[in-house]
Amino acid sequence: MAKVKCAWFDFASCEGCQIELTNFGEPFVELLEHVEPVEFREAMSEKTTGPIDVAFIEGSFTREADRRRLEEIRERAGVVVAYGACATCGGINALKNHQSDYAEEVYGEDAKRPHLDSQKALPVSAAIKVDYEIPGCPMDKAEFIRVVEQLVHGTSKVYIPSYPVCVECKRNETVCRYDDGGHCLGPIALAGCGAPCPAAGIPCEACRGMVNKPNQAAMELVLKENGNLPERWAKDMTRMFTANFRGDA
Amino acid sequence: MKSYFLSDQNLTAFVEGLMSKYPVIAPVAKRSRFVFDTLVDVSELRLDYDTTILPPKKVFFPAKQDLIHFDKDGFTSAIDPKEQVLLGAHPHDIKGIAMSDIFYSDRQYDNNYMANRKATIIIGCSVQNHYKHAFFGTMNANRPLTGHDLFMTKIEGGYAVDALSEKGEALIALGTFTDAGDAQVAAATEVNKKAEENCPEKLNGTAEEIREKVRSSFDSPVWEECAEKCFSCGSCNIVCCTCYCFDVQDEWNVDGASGTRFRLWDACLTTEFSEVTSPGGSENFREERAERYRHRFMRKAAYLNEQLGGPACTGCGRCSGACTADIANPATVINKILEQ
Ligand code: SF4
Ligand code: SF4
Ligand code: SF4
Ligand code: SF4
Ligand code: SF4
Repeated sequence: MAKVKCAWFDFASCEGCQIELTNFGEPFVELLEHVEPVEFREAMSEKTTGPIDVAFIEGSFTREADRRRLEEIRERAGVVVAYGACATCGGINALKNHQSDYAEEVYGEDAKRPHLDSQKALPVSAAIKVDYEIPGCPMDKAEFIRVVEQLVHGTSKVYIPSYPVCVECKRNETVCRYDDGGHCLGPIALAGCGAPCPAAGIPCEACRGMVNKPNQAAMELVLKENGNLPERWAKDMTRMFTANFRGDA
Repeated sequence: MKSYFLSDQNLTAFVEGLMSKYPVIAPVAKRSRFVFDTLVDVSELRLDYDTTILPPKKVFFPAKQDLIHFDKDGFTSAIDPKEQVLLGAHPHDIKGIAMSDIFYSDRQYDNNYMANRKATIIIGCSVQNHYKHAFFGTMNANRPLTGHDLFMTKIEGGYAVDALSEKGEALIALGTFTDAGDAQVAAATEVNKKAEENCPEKLNGTAEEIREKVRSSFDSPVWEECAEKCFSCGSCNIVCCTCYCFDVQDEWNVDGASGTRFRLWDACLTTEFSEVTSPGGSENFREERAERYRHRFMRKAAYLNEQLGGPACTGCGRCSGACTADIANPATVINKILEQ
């Protein structure tokens, strides 16, 4: 069987997901028997222009100037996979979406320089058709392997859970943050990560995005009443990773 | 049935005796809560626990259970039962196990569950501290307590221990027991009665009343009201003694030729539970959160009530505590419906 030609591209991101990939170790090496990386900035210097089987895109779409580059990738690629929260939902970059004053605050007189010109941070799917999405900040290695394995072997449906993190957290028998006097976004956060954060004693920040039809009004109430967060924190907590899911996005 | 007495001083040696022969799974502390876990050191044992996050069914049926391993040439079963002791199950949890046993053997015999179940010796224990949401004193209180091998009731100076099966009787040799006196047996009966009476929450109504009232509340606006804060997070299902639904998935190895089929505890409150493929995509037969919320109560209080002769609920209160929105409490919801 011919190897599947894969290329990795990055947009507005920290490239942490690419780093996460290179941290893979064994399963990734095994995967290399089936895939041929033709472009991968964090690990190789080659660049390509020809057709590719699978394009993995990391990072948000946040500058109109990037639309053309994304469209070119789409034209060249058989399958487009958006991976990591930045690419699947705007991720932490979308934290800036509700504010227009941050540039001056952060960059002072450099604020007007052209490379800082950006619009709202949006998922890659806001610019081009995306076939698969692997959420997470950074994306989950096991999930990545599963998606790639299924792509390589031609399975059409890649399963990623649609339920909240609480399901996985409860299966792990983790002590709920709310039982420990804490707070957590688990009830509206998209599962698939295996709920490592509550297991480590820290709240879930919904880095994978929200579930479909999240009950955000109830979340705000629970953060306030059970999580004892001040009103404003309760209201703003979902801006961290999930600004694009909010009613005011 | 024979009754023995185990003094407080002799408890440690007995549990160590069990541990020398079997893996012993018992309540241990985990931060502010308790969980059933394999004892490594007898000092971890907390028979004074109030409740565990997950019910003891996980001992036979873990949240993720491998079913088969497969490759190009065929498959092998993952059933591999190991003799083990479940120590410290509360009476209502033992009833929950008995209900699960029915679900996994009555209409469809589930080898993956039953093999582990049969390999497990169950030692029950009395409730020394109540979970703040418990209502087992008024939920299936008259349901016979069966399926366990030993039962230990905390009384003055030690434990009154009932041997209820041959397997249970054989364990007596692992410790230093004396025959229980009449006063000790009577004290034990009183302790267990008091534990039921002292439940912090109470459910009204008989099994029949609950079944009829809940069934006829199907179109009541109460479900919409109760579910307003529901996250569809399934926590109430996952922590439940009597929830038995699971989802089967295949995990392929990178070679694309071999892998493992496993099952995971599922939850009918989540949207994907009721999502099915249909021509051109998928549809959901319980699209609204209130419908899913109602379904759990219908199952527990009405539908399975018919199969079991009582609600499929033990009154453990785990769901009430697990629900961050604080809307899952069966005692509150069923009482509300009974009042309508
Ligand atoms: S810790 Fe968070 S994810 Fe876990 S059950 Fe509690 S709210 Fe849900
Ligand atoms: S638990 Fe929440 S914050 Fe942690 S990895 Fe999962 S989705 Fe992200
Ligand atoms: S419904 Fe709630 S109280 Fe009843 S058995 Fe399940 S978890 Fe326990
Ligand atoms: S309540 Fe729901 S998850 Fe639990 S057993 Fe019934 S249908 Fe299954
Ligand atoms: S009733 Fe509570 S625990 Fe159950 S799904 Fe709704 S919010 Fe989650």
